[in-house]
Amino acid sequence: MPQKNHYAFVIDVARCIDCRACLVACSVENNVPMDHTRIWVHDQGIQGNWPYLSHAFVPYNCMHCEHPPCTEVCVSGATYKDKVNGLVLVDQEACIGCGYCVAACPYGVRYIDQKRGVVDKCNACLQRLEVDLEPACVATCVGKSRLFGDLNDPTSEVSIALRNAKSVTNLDYENGETDTDPNIYYLNLPETESILSSDPFGQVAQTSLPRDPHYTIAEQGWKNVAIPLMAAAMGATFLVQAIFFTKQLLEGEKEFDE
Amino acid sequence: MPKTVISRREFLKMGGAAASVFAVGQFIPPPVARAARQAGSLDDNGNGYICTLCEMCVWRCGVRAKVDEGRVVKLEGNPEHPHSHGKLCARGQSGLMNTYDPDRVLTPLIRVGKRGEGKFRQASWDEALDMVAENMLKIKSTYGPEAMVFSSTHNLSQPLFENLLYGFGSPNYGTQRSLCFNAMVTAFLLTYGIEEPARNYDNVQYILLVGRNLTEAISTSETTEMIDAMARGAKLTYLDPRFTKTASKATEWMPVRPGTDLAFLLAMINVIAIEELGNCEFVKEFTIGCDLLPTHYAEYTPEWAEGKCGIPADTIRRIAREFAAAKPNALAHPGWRTSNFINSFQTERAIAILNAMVGNVFEVDGCLIAESPEAGGIALGAPPQPPYPRVSASRLDGVPWKYPLVPLKLGVFQELRDAVLTGQPYQAHGWFIARQNPVLALPDLQRTLEAFNKMDFIVTVDIIMNDTGWFSDVVLPEASYLERYDPLVPMKDYIFIRQPVIEPQGEAKSALMIYKELGTRLGLAEFFQYKDEEDYLNQQLAPLGYSLEELRLHGHIKVPMEAKSEEITFNTPSGKVEVYSETLANAGFPPLPTWEEPPQPKAGEFYLLTGKVGQHTQMGTQNNQLLHKYQDEPRLWMAPEAAQTLGLEDWDTVEVTSPVGSVKVELQVTPAIRSDCVYLTPGFGHLSMALRTAYGVGASDSQLHVTYTDPISGGQALSQTFVSVKKAG
Repeated sequence: MPQKNHYAFVIDVARCIDCRACLVACSVENNVPMDHTRIWVHDQGIQGNWPYLSHAFVPYNCMHCEHPPCTEVCVSGATYKDKVNGLVLVDQEACIGCGYCVAACPYGVRYIDQKRGVVDKCNACLQRLEVDLEPACVATCVGKSRLFGDLNDPTSEVSIALRNAKSVTNLDYENGETDTDPNIYYLNLPETESILSSDPFGQVAQTSLPRDPHYTIAEQGWKNVAIPLMAAAMGATFLVQAIFFTKQLLEGEKEFDE
Repeated sequence: MPKTVISRREFLKMGGAAASVFAVGQFIPPPVARAARQAGSLDDNGNGYICTLCEMCVWRCGVRAKVDEGRVVKLEGNPEHPHSHGKLCARGQSGLMNTYDPDRVLTPLIRVGKRGEGKFRQASWDEALDMVAENMLKIKSTYGPEAMVFSSTHNLSQPLFENLLYGFGSPNYGTQRSLCFNAMVTAFLLTYGIEEPARNYDNVQYILLVGRNLTEAISTSETTEMIDAMARGAKLTYLDPRFTKTASKATEWMPVRPGTDLAFLLAMINVIAIEELGNCEFVKEFTIGCDLLPTHYAEYTPEWAEGKCGIPADTIRRIAREFAAAKPNALAHPGWRTSNFINSFQTERAIAILNAMVGNVFEVDGCLIAESPEAGGIALGAPPQPPYPRVSASRLDGVPWKYPLVPLKLGVFQELRDAVLTGQPYQAHGWFIARQNPVLALPDLQRTLEAFNKMDFIVTVDIIMNDTGWFSDVVLPEASYLERYDPLVPMKDYIFIRQPVIEPQGEAKSALMIYKELGTRLGLAEFFQYKDEEDYLNQQLAPLGYSLEELRLHGHIKVPMEAKSEEITFNTPSGKVEVYSETLANAGFPPLPTWEEPPQPKAGEFYLLTGKVGQHTQMGTQNNQLLHKYQDEPRLWMAPEAAQTLGLEDWDTVEVTSPVGSVKVELQVTPAIRSDCVYLTPGFGHLSMALRTAYGVGASDSQLHVTYTDPISGGQALSQTFVSVKKAG
C-alpha cells in the first residue's frame, strides 16, 4: 500500500539568517535536554576574498530518509519508518539505548538521552502535526526558510516550493548498499561546499557536525564513552540481550513497587 | 468533607502534579487561571493558550502562551499581531526560561554585606518598601527631591514610573535612549517632526541599510518583511565595517571605515542633487532646502568620499543612481542603535534627506511612513491624578541647559552619571532603578561604580539579580512578563494586552503594584488611583466602552477608527520636511548635514566596534539557559592580517586596553571585519555572581568604552573608543 503522506522539509538557504529561533523552539517544544539538540544550523564558514565574501547557513535535522540506514541496524525495532506518513520515528518505549542507530546515521542527527536511556531525534513534531500545527522550527522561522508539508499533496507549500524552484539539492548519501534519499530538500544551497555528499561513512557525521554548542549544564562526560564502539567490541548480541534483560528486570521491579 | 483552606502561595509550592488534582475538583483556581478560564483561554484542567505580549526586547511581538496545568510550556508568535505574524525569534522562544530562571529573585532582598559583595537577606515586602520609602524621604527632606535619580528602560509601565519620579518632584530621569537611538530620533524629529518613522517593505525595490543589522538586531516582523522583499528581488546595499549576517544576505556589502558612512551618504546626496535624479514633485511640494543641495554639496563628490570611507567613487556614484532610479520605492533605513560617533546625528540627517529626495514618505503606502510604529489614534483612559509638583532644580543630564535640542524624554544618561560623580551642578544622593542595568549599559563601568559609591541609597527593581542589583541596597522582585499585567498599549487601530499567563512565582509583583505601594508610602497615593492591575486596565478601557473580559481571549481588540485623511503633514515649524533646519541654525548647529571628521585610531590601535547578536537583548538575557545553549562564544573579532601582525592566533586569550580600562577575552580571527577594527560581542562580562549561567562568560565593553557625547543629540559615541590588543600574560 502506498504511503498516505510523504512528509518532507524544504529549506531555502537564501532565507536562513542563522537567528536560531528554530533551535530554541525545538528544545522547548520537545523538552530536549540542555546538553543536546535535535536540530542544527550548519555554518559553512566565510568564503571568498575580501570584500567579496559570502556566508551561508544550512539548517538541518533528521532527514527522514526514504531508505534510512538507522532502521536497518535497530535491534529492538524501536526505530522505524512510519508506513502512513513516511517519518522516521523512534518508539522510545521499545528503545533499549544501544546506540547502533546513532552510529549508523550518516547525518549525525541522533543522540542518546542518558537520563532516559533512549535515543532521541527530530520527530517532525508529530505531536503538533496531530493537532494541525506545523513543526515548532517551521512555525517560528523568522526568515521563512523552513517549510514542511506533504509531497503527496500537490497543493502543499512544499510541493509548490519544489515545483517553482530553479534548482533543488538533497544531501543524498550513497555508499555501496546504502542510498538514503533524504527528505530535506534544499533551495539555493551554495555550490561552493557540499557539506555532506559522498563522504565515507562516519566522516560524514564528523564534517556535518553542528557548531559545538557551549552548554550550561555540563553533562558531557558520556560523550567520551564511545558507546557504539564498545558495543561492537564486546559482541553486539550479548550486550543487547544483557541490556534488554536488565531493562526488563528494572521495569518489572518498578511495576512491583507500584 | 473538611473545607480545604489553602493560600495561593501554598498552592504554587505544591507544584504541577498536585495542582492538576485540585484543578479538576472543587478547588477554586488561582486568579490568573480563573480569569483565563472565564475568558475561555484555558479549559477546566487549566490547559490552553493565553494571548499576551513578548518582552524579550522592545519590539513587543504578540505571543500565544501554551499553558499546561499552571505552567507555561511553549510560546508561539500570535499570527494576529502585526509584529510577530505568528513568529518569535530565538529570544521570544526562550522567554519562558527567563521566568523559570533558577536565579530569579523571588523575595525582596536587603543588602547585609558591603556594596558589591553580594550579601543580601530576604525581607518582606512591607519591610523592604518601608525601608525604600524611608530612605527616599530622608534624601528628599535633607537635600531636596532632585537629589533622587530615577532611571528605567523603555517599557509599558513607564507612565507609572514617571508618576513616581515626577510626583516625587525629581527632574532626574535616566533612560537608555542616549546609549541607543538619540541620534536617529533627534534627526528625524528635526527633519520630519516624527521620532521614528515606520518602514513599509510592501513595494520596496531598493533598501539601503546603514549599519542596521536587521538579521541579528532582529525586529521579528521587519526582519521577515526584509527577507521577503529580497526574495521578491529587492536590492539590498549594506554599510558596515563588519561582514555581519545581514551583510551575507545583502546584494552588496560596503565595508566603510567606521564613522565615515556620513561621507558615503553625503556623496549620494551630491550625485542625486547634481544629476537631478530625485523625485521633483515630492521635493517641490513637501520639502524646504533641497534647492540648496547642489551648491552646498558640490564639494561632497564621490571622489572626495572615496578618500574618507574607502569605497570606490564609481561604486558610490552607481549606488546613488540605482537608489534614485528606484524612486519612490527606495528606502534608506533610519537605523536603530545609532550611537556610534559624535557625527552620528549628521549621518542620521543625511539618511532622512535621502528618503525625502526619492519622495518615499507617504502616509499610506510609502517605504517610509510618517508615523511611528507604535502610533495609535486610540485615546485610552487613565486614572485621575493631580498635576505634578513644580520642579525648580535643573536636570543633572544637561537637558536643556547644556543640550538644548535633546528631547526631555530622551535625556543624556551618561551625562547624568557623570554629574552624579562630579556633584555638579548639585550632588545626587539616591538612585531608583527599574528594569535597567546601568552598570553594564553605560560607558566606562569604573566611573559608573564610582558614581554608585557616591550614593547614600540605591534600589533596583528586576526579575533577576542583575549587575546593578548586585551593587544595590535593596532589590525588589518584579513579576516576569508572563506573570503580570502591564498598562495597555494601542497600536494603529488595535489595543493589545500584556496579561499574566501563570501566577507570579515567589513573592514577585507587577511594576504597577510595586510603584503604587511605594508611591503610597511616599505620600503620592493620588498618582496611583487604582485598586489593582485589573482596575487600572479597566479605567484605561472605560472611555472606549470595552471590558477587560473582551480583551483577554484574543489578546487584542480592533477599534473602529475614522479613515485617515490622505493629506501629508509634517510636524515641523515649516510643516514640511526640513532638509534645511532653521531650528538647528538658531541653536548654532549646521542647518544642513555637514561633514564632521571622526577621530581615527593611532598606529597599532583599533576601532572598538559594538553590535548585536540574534540570541540576546542588551545585557539582560545572558542568564537565560536556552539562549546560552545556542549562543556563540562571545569573543573579540580580529582580521587575519591584524592578528598575524600581532602574532596572535584564534582562541588566544588577549588583553584589550582602552584609555579607561582593560579586559581579557578570547580571540576570534575572522575575515568578517576590517583590519583596522575589532569587535566585542556586547552584553557579556557580568559582574553579578548571582547570575550563575552568565557569570564568567565573555567580557564587557562597558569596561573599555570612553564617554563621548554628541552636543546636538546627546547620543553616546560607542564606536569612538580605540583599543590596543596584546596576548594576555
